[in-house]
Formats: sequence, C-alpha cells, structure tokens
Amino acid sequence: MSNYLVLLVILPLLGAFLMQPLSQLLGSKQAGRKILQNFGRAVIAVTLTITYIVATEGEGVLQLPLSLLMGGFVVPVGINLYLDQFSLLWLVAIQVSLLILWPASRDIRQHLLLLVVAASSMGMALSGDLFNIYVFYELLAVATFGLVAQAPHPAAAVVSFRYLLLSAFGSVLALAGIAIIYSQSGSLNLAHLSAFVVNGETQFPLAAFLLLLVGFGVKAELFGVNGWVPEVYGVVSSRMSALLAGVISKIAVVVIVRIMLLLFPYPEASQALLVLGILGMVGGEWVAWHTAQRGGKLSTTLAYSSIGQLGMIFVAFSFSLTLGLFVGVALALHHLIVKSGLFMLSSAQLNRWQLGLFVLFGLSLIGVPPLPGFWIKLAMLQDLWATGGGLEQLAIALFLLATVVEASYLSKIISTQMVSPQFKSAKLGGNSEERRNLNLAWLYGILLFGAIFFINPLAETLHGIAVQTEDGELLRSVVLENSIDPLAGGEQ
Amino acid sequence: MSDLVKRVEWTPLLFSVGLGCLLLPLFLALPFGNSPMVAGEMIQQAAQGVQGAVVDSVGAANLVTSVVLAYRGLDTLGELAILFAAATGAGMVLQSGSAALHQNTKMHKHIDSEINLGELFDSAATMLTPLLLLVGVYIILHGHLTPGGGFQGGVVVAVALFLPSWARNGGGQLSHKVISRIEGGAGASFIVIGLVALWQGDPFLTPWLAQGELGELFSAGTLPLLYLMVGLKVGAELAALLKYLAIDEQVQS
Amino acid sequence: MLGIILYSGAVALIVIGIAGLVRSTHLFRAVLALVIAESGANLLLMLAGFRLGGAVPIATEGSFPLAMVDPVPQAMVLTAIVIGVGIQALAIALLVRVKQRYGTLERSKVTAAMELELNK
Repeated sequence: MSNYLVLLVILPLLGAFLMQPLSQLLGSKQAGRKILQNFGRAVIAVTLTITYIVATEGEGVLQLPLSLLMGGFVVPVGINLYLDQFSLLWLVAIQVSLLILWPASRDIRQHLLLLVVAASSMGMALSGDLFNIYVFYELLAVATFGLVAQAPHPAAAVVSFRYLLLSAFGSVLALAGIAIIYSQSGSLNLAHLSAFVVNGETQFPLAAFLLLLVGFGVKAELFGVNGWVPEVYGVVSSRMSALLAGVISKIAVVVIVRIMLLLFPYPEASQALLVLGILGMVGGEWVAWHTAQRGGKLSTTLAYSSIGQLGMIFVAFSFSLTLGLFVGVALALHHLIVKSGLFMLSSAQLNRWQLGLFVLFGLSLIGVPPLPGFWIKLAMLQDLWATGGGLEQLAIALFLLATVVEASYLSKIISTQMVSPQFKSAKLGGNSEERRNLNLAWLYGILLFGAIFFINPLAETLHGIAVQTEDGELLRSVVLENSIDPLAGGEQ
Repeated sequence: MSDLVKRVEWTPLLFSVGLGCLLLPLFLALPFGNSPMVAGEMIQQAAQGVQGAVVDSVGAANLVTSVVLAYRGLDTLGELAILFAAATGAGMVLQSGSAALHQNTKMHKHIDSEINLGELFDSAATMLTPLLLLVGVYIILHGHLTPGGGFQGGVVVAVALFLPSWARNGGGQLSHKVISRIEGGAGASFIVIGLVALWQGDPFLTPWLAQGELGELFSAGTLPLLYLMVGLKVGAELAALLKYLAIDEQVQS
Repeated sequence: MLGIILYSGAVALIVIGIAGLVRSTHLFRAVLALVIAESGANLLLMLAGFRLGGAVPIATEGSFPLAMVDPVPQAMVLTAIVIGVGIQALAIALLVRVKQRYGTLERSKVTAAMELELNK
C-alpha cells in the first residue's frame, strides 16, 4: 500500500501536464469547460482519498510512520518519502485548504499552476531528502510567481518580480547550505545525516543552519526575508492570500522544523530561531498596528499581522521539546484557520453578521477564553516560563506586548468597519466572487467555534503528533530499516 | 521596515561581504579533493560490480545519468515541472501583456509580415533545422552512454523547433497547439513510465526493461526512454519560452 | 593551493552576485547578478564531490575507472542549472511586462510607481 504514497505528488503533476492538451480537446464545448473547471478539484479529491488509504492501510487505524524508497533504492543512494503524523497533518491541511479555496477562474493555466502548488507542497511535507526538498521548494516558488503575476492588479508583474528576486536570493543561500552539508558528510538524506549527528561523527556548523533557515524562510515569512509579504498580499486575490499565508508558509515552517530537529539538535540553532522569531513577532505586529492606525488597507494590516503570527510560531518551535512542538503545531493550525477566515472577510465591506464573525476570529487571535487561541497562548506562556532563561523571559514580555498590540489594531479595524454605510443597511455587498468568499469565511468560523467543544481530544491528538515528531530515533529506525549501517559502511 | 533598509544603502554590501567571510573559512577547513561521498561510493561500487554493493546497478555507462534518472529520479521530475511551470507562467504574463497592448489581431499580422530577416538567414535556417534535430536527438539518445542527455539535447531540439519559424516571421507562427501537446505528452509519458513500475508492484520509477550490455545503445532499461521524454519536454518548454519572448519583441517594436 | 583558489572563487562569485542582486540600480542587471550568484553556488556543489585524481564517472570500453569523482553532485548541479534557467526565463518575462507598463527598468522608478499603485 505504502507504494501508492508517491501518487500524492505524482497525480497533481500528471494532471497539470495533461491540462493544456485536455483543454484543447474539451475547451470548445460547454460541458467540456465545466469538466475542466472542476478537474483540479477532482484530482485533489482523489489524492485525499489516497492519503486516507495509505495512512490507514485501508483499515481505519493509522499505520504510521512509514517510509517509501523511491525506485526501491536504499537510503542514502535513493530518495525516500517519510509519512508520520506530523506530515500527515499538513498533507490533510494542504489538500482540504486547496479544496476549499480553489478559485473559479476561467483561465485554465491558473488551475494548472495550483495543481503544481499542490504537488510541490505535498512533496515538501513528505520528502526525506535535503536536495529533493530544495527542488520541491523551488517548484512551489515558481508556481507561486506565476500565480502572483497573473493577478488582476496593475502592479502584479513588478511585485512578482521582486518576490522572485528575494526568493532566488534565498535559494542561492540554501544551495550553499546544502553544499556545506554534502561536503562534510557525502549524503543528503535527512535520516542518514541525523544518524551521523547522533553518533557524534559530524556536527554541522551553525552557518549551514542559518543558510538553510534564510533560504527556506523566505516562504515562511521569516524576519529579514519577508519584504515580499505586504506587496504580494496587496496584489493577489483574497483566496490566494489565504492560501499563501495559511498553508504555504506553514509548509516552509514544517521543513525548517524537520531540518532543525534532525540535523542541528544543539541550543545555538534553536536560539537563532528564537531570536528571529521574536524579531518577526515584534516587527510584524508593530507595523500592523501602525498600518491600522494610518487607515491602511485591511489586506496590508493582515499581511503584517501574519508576519507577527509566524514569528510567534517560530518562537514556539524554537523549544524543540515536546511541549514546544505541541504549541508550535497548535499555533500553526490555529493561524491557518483564523488567517484564512480573516482574508476571506477582507475582500468586501461587511454587514453586521459578518463583522460578528470577524470579531470571533479577532478574539481567538488575541486569546480570549474560551476560544482555542486562549488555550494555545496559555500553553505557550507556561512553556516559556518553564524554560526560564533570560531570552525566554524577554520573549514572554514581548509576547504579551504583541498580544496587546494585536488587540489594539483589531479593535481599530472593527470600529472602522462599524461606521461603514453597508454595515448599517446589513445588505450583502460585492459581486458573486466576494459573496462566495464571505460564505467560505463562515466555514472557517464554524471550524474555529467547533474546536471549543473538542479542546481536550484535540490537545491529546496534537500532543501525540508532537511526541512522534520529536522522536528522531523512530524516524531513523524506520527510514534506515532496510539500509546499511551508516557508520560501518557495509551491509547490515 | 523596508524603508529603513532602503535608506541604509551599505547594509546589503556589508551582508554579502560578511557572508563571504562566513563561508570561506568553513569551506577551506574541509579536506579538499578528498570528499566523503558516502552515497557516491555506493553508486560507484554498484557500477563496478563490487561484491556486496548496497544497491543494484542500473546498467548505464554514464553514472551521472543513473543518478539523474534512477537513483534521484524524483528530483528530475520536479525539475521538469519547474521548467513547465516557468514556461506556463511566462506565457500567462506575456500573452496578457501583448493582448493589452494590441487588442486587434490585424495589428499582429501586420507586424508579422514586416519582420524579414533576409534570404540568407531563411535558407540557412532551412538547412540547419534537420541537422540540429539530428544532433539534438543523438545527444538525447546517447545520454546514458556519453556526457549529454535529455537536458542538453533538449536545448538543441528547442532551437531546431524555433529557428525556421523565427527566420520566416519572427517566431510568431510556431504552433502553440503542437508545442503544448508535446510538452504535456512527454511529461505525462515520463510519469507513466514510472507508474508502470508501480503497477508491477515496485515503487515508483523503479527501472524496468532488460539492462542489456553495458555501453550499447539499447541498454540501461527504461533510462534512455525516460531521457527521450525529458529531451522532448525540455525542447518543447524552451521553444515555447523563446516563442513568447519573440512575439513580445515584435509587439514592442 | 588549488583548493583555496577554487573555493575562494566560488565564494567570491556568490558574494559578487548577492551584492549585485541587492545593489544594482537596473532590474535587468539584478537578474544577471542572480545568474552569477547561482553559478557560485553550483561551483560549491561541484567542489563538494571533487576527488583529486578521480576520473569522469563514465564507463569507457565497457569498464569503469577505479577512482572516480562523485556523480551525485554533478546530477544535483544539472538539476540546479535547469531550475536556474526556469527562474531566469520567468524573471525576464516579468521584466518585459514591467518595461511595457512603466517604460523603464530603473529600480527606484519602478519601485516608486509600484508603491503608488499598491497604496491606491
């Protein structure tokens, strides 16, 4: 069964390759165009089914973790895909988000690029090979450049170009980081490399981590390489913003966390992440507040706020202990739902029901009980307090400050919305696309509200995920099972 | 935040010099010319037929090809997809651009007829095309034996596809239909060749077909077939890219 | 000695490329700087698999040489080069569009025009 795992990456690519020939065959007829419109969604629905079948071996119980050797070549010669609860969570998140946010565009090439986005982000979540992750990361980047460039905004091309330059800068650095690791060890497989590290044979320099961090951090809106965020979110449609801020940034975070846990298990690496996270949190929230005060566009405020939120996620993940991973995953999921919902609400003027929904999202973001955001922030504070170094105490203070700033600019946005004429008349504004976005926001709202009643089981599940993610020994034993002993150099 | 960075002009310079100072000692500390090559040695042992080699040989005389298409085949699929996404993106960007500048196709035709690169260029293109195609296909099909292969040969094929149309009317007449069918079909065939292994019960992209004699044209199982698909796809993508850029040049001039 | 020259060359290419990427006033030159930086990174990867006295990893007359250089980085660099080509092609396509829209590729002018449009 596990052989079929690769279909998650392959089927969307196959669909993308066949899309244009298909559109020439079917595009002339009304029914054909209908089929094409729903083709991408159908492919994702199929891969979601395959995810379920592979993860449970068809028996309804999770059979994880599992490792699949591409082409049947053992690690480290071949590439492997690794599926554990952590990657499964993100696979499901990617596919469900894509199903929800799939645009109703008439341009077939947009569907095609989204299929490429699906394939590459799932590849990043699954791949256990450093260079393979780099390739999928670049694929994701190129697809998003195209999606940004075709946005119906006059500045789309130049925004996309600037995004491309920054991203390419990051990938040069990441490539240099890969070169350092390969020169030291002669291998690219994460599990194999981490066996070197654990055995004490090699210690990869902090510089390699920083290079990889900056390289993959471009998509994760890391401090220092996040200049593209406000520009891009100001140009693309709200659905694309929700996709970029909600899902794609998280996939980059997932990759960074995996690399840090496996290859750089020493305090300097996590401290680098902590410092960059704090900077992103403070900087992002502060500029978001500033933008809201000046009466800037809602999408710009949300963009900066998203930088701040990702900073918090980095702070959480920098405690690479079980509790830190738990809080990080929870924060990332929470941010995925809330930010997607907020971006869905950002495209139109709101009536009073929708503003109520906006307030719900805002309250959870700030952390007001009993909403999920409160419990996550509480756990995060406990986590920081328990770790208790000087930097952590600074992080607590700044974290609380960021929360206050968040509350301030969200209330500012809400009060601005309340004086708008549409709010009083309570009638639905905007065109059909905007109305559909507002309906999708309700979906996210229900998800968030529903989570209140399942806090305990959710926390247990996430805790299980964190425990499995932290367990490097498990990963190594599963991936290197049929492989050679990396130190003996012979057959096991 | 971005305003601050813009004002301080020397920051980027300092950053790049600092990066150099960081990288250089790291690399100079490595044993030069004596790389560990753990994975590489396993591949070489398999190829040399050493007893107890960890992996199977794939039977290609060019070891780089075995890595590109067999051991790390998923990377290659990803890279094909990158070219594909880049060509699609460029097409979206440039076509919407020229459509905005010139709504009527009449204008387009008018420009097309004016571009004339001359008798000499035209005849040279006619003569060169079959030669280029031959060279390109040769490089692609010998990718598992000699340096070269689908990417290098694909570039030559792209020129062969693009040259006659460029010489005659500036590249505008290259059929979009044909190009997109080649690129879609070749990419899909690459995946289907990999999926046959899955259907046989092996993991994706496991080489099948007999390996044959080392160094023969028909050897190394499915590898030459995969490289042919890579070559066709690269050729089609690059020809499409050249075409988009060429059309745009005409619209601008 | 050879190692020092080659590694310094590769790192220098990256440094020059990145400095050019950030500092160049013309957008097309930024793309060229990107090409330089990418070739530096590719050179680093090539050096990662270099062995003194190693031969090309290709069989001649039916047998492989005894000492070969590492084929894995060569395959990686092939991939990285093709990725670079894709990104550069897309960058140039975007630049053509930018030139059509703003009539210039001066970085400061284009950025100013972009900010005006974004804040509209």
